[in-house]
Amino acid sequence: MSATERLLRTHRPADGPLRILAASGQLGYGIPAESLEHGVLRQPHFIGCDMGSIDPGPYYLGSGTMAAPAAMVRRDLELVLVAARRLDVPLVIGSAGTAGAAPQLDATVDLIRAIALDKGLHFRLTTVHSDLHPDQVLDALARGQLEPIGPMPLPSAADVLRCSHIVGQCGTETLARALQTPTDVLVAGRACDTAIFATLPEMLGYPAGLCLHMAKIVECTSLCCRPSGRDAMLAELSMDSFTLESMNSLAHATPASVAAHALYEQADPLEVDEPTGTLLLHDARYEALDAHRTRVSGAGFRRRARATLKIEGAAPVGERCVLLAGVADPTLLAQLPQALATVEHRVRQLVPGAWAFHSHIYGQGAVAPLPRERHSRHEAGLVLEFLAPQADLARTAAGVFKQNLLHLSYPGRVSTAGNLAFAFTPSEIDAGTAYRFVLYHVMHEAPLQDIFQVRQHAIGIRH
Amino acid sequence: MSATPLSTLAHVVRSKNAGPTVLTIDIFFNDAQAYARAASSAQLSEAAVAALYQRAARDVRRTLLPSIQAMKFSMPRRICAGDPGDGDVYGAQQHAALLGVAV
Repeated sequence: MSATERLLRTHRPADGPLRILAASGQLGYGIPAESLEHGVLRQPHFIGCDMGSIDPGPYYLGSGTMAAPAAMVRRDLELVLVAARRLDVPLVIGSAGTAGAAPQLDATVDLIRAIALDKGLHFRLTTVHSDLHPDQVLDALARGQLEPIGPMPLPSAADVLRCSHIVGQCGTETLARALQTPTDVLVAGRACDTAIFATLPEMLGYPAGLCLHMAKIVECTSLCCRPSGRDAMLAELSMDSFTLESMNSLAHATPASVAAHALYEQADPLEVDEPTGTLLLHDARYEALDAHRTRVSGAGFRRRARATLKIEGAAPVGERCVLLAGVADPTLLAQLPQALATVEHRVRQLVPGAWAFHSHIYGQGAVAPLPRERHSRHEAGLVLEFLAPQADLARTAAGVFKQNLLHLSYPGRVSTAGNLAFAFTPSEIDAGTAYRFVLYHVMHEAPLQDIFQVRQHAIGIRH
Repeated sequence: MSATPLSTLAHVVRSKNAGPTVLTIDIFFNDAQAYARAASSAQLSEAAVAALYQRAARDVRRTLLPSIQAMKFSMPRRICAGDPGDGDVYGAQQHAALLGVAV
């Protein structure tokens, strides 16, 4: 019998709390092994890991590559796989390989196969594919079923077709379908962080509001603690509350630290939209059990008739070359934007073509708008981006820009030998293909069963 | 009462994306008194924060959370996270403008 079948058949909420171990909020950056081991000793009923999100920007969805280093992803996957198989409990992993697109899910499954071979593990793996075919999006666009999230324009059909990957965030409704199949390890493509931790508890009959509230907090592991950390987090869930406990004895889940986490990366801290409904936190209560643990209760849930779908898509915008340099001359620092404009004008005449230029002047408002009187007159860092349809053109524009800025004559110049300090050469660096988000929309009336394909794989089992 | 910079009244002032199109800022105050002072300050109204971040007042939404002595501001990002020209993909350094606000 698979680990999931056993859990679903044998655990009754009346028998005692369900122990959920959140092993990682960002698998691939080094799970603290000691805390994970403490969690395993508590005999969790299942282990969950989040592996990605949209936060690192459009590159990872666009390119289909992982943000985390492959060697560290393998190390972390091995830790959680070995732990879950040792306990023979379900392991649920969401947003495989950062953005959860097909190449990232495949890369994650390949690593899992390699680890299984290496460690002599055998188990039933279920995958959930989260990719949408562009036609599915075009149909929704034509029917007026795409709704922007925040200030995102509606895409044109051409924009949709330019996307290299389009994924949907599956929720508990989809992971429940996947977990009804015999499963030891579930790896989902793009998934709501909450679905990773809330699905099995909901299937066992725990109230959806509590499940989702618990999931929302533990998906970042010990980030909800003081001091915050990345250590495994244990939730003990009953029918009316859940208890949070970090597996690092020095990270304390206090009522204040846990309540504060509800605000994290959330525009509205009291009403949180999930695919299956809205999590209501107006009446949430946080009470200290002791100095280390907090009990949480009171979350409500307003279920909607039909699960919604959030979709994400990224499209290439060109090849990027980046020029890095420093400036320390006070006279040039006082006129940097004009100097860059002058050089750009010159380079446009020397290097024709559709290249775009974006300047980031660190020390003078690159991170956030800075009034001119507060601009650095000590030194500034230049990160100059060149985007072009071909890498060669971006590189040419960057190289010519560099030399023209290096030797630009400007009013009051005394440093006639050169205007730029390079930390190293070459100072212009190919940064690969650049992407941007084209889709960040709710897709109404989405055919979830068609979009999210559930597949079963026997890992290390001979047929 | 003399004006105090926000950074001395709060122990957490942080910003982050809430999805690639929205920026959200959380402020956790040191105590109930600091919270009450901030919550009633014109310098931390939606309009004042909108002006500070160069947004239209209607684009900034403030949520008051007296039970945890916290305040949240959410606003649309100026540019979608990671679009060419963006300077803060995670939105994690947009809190700084608030630190010196005199409350």
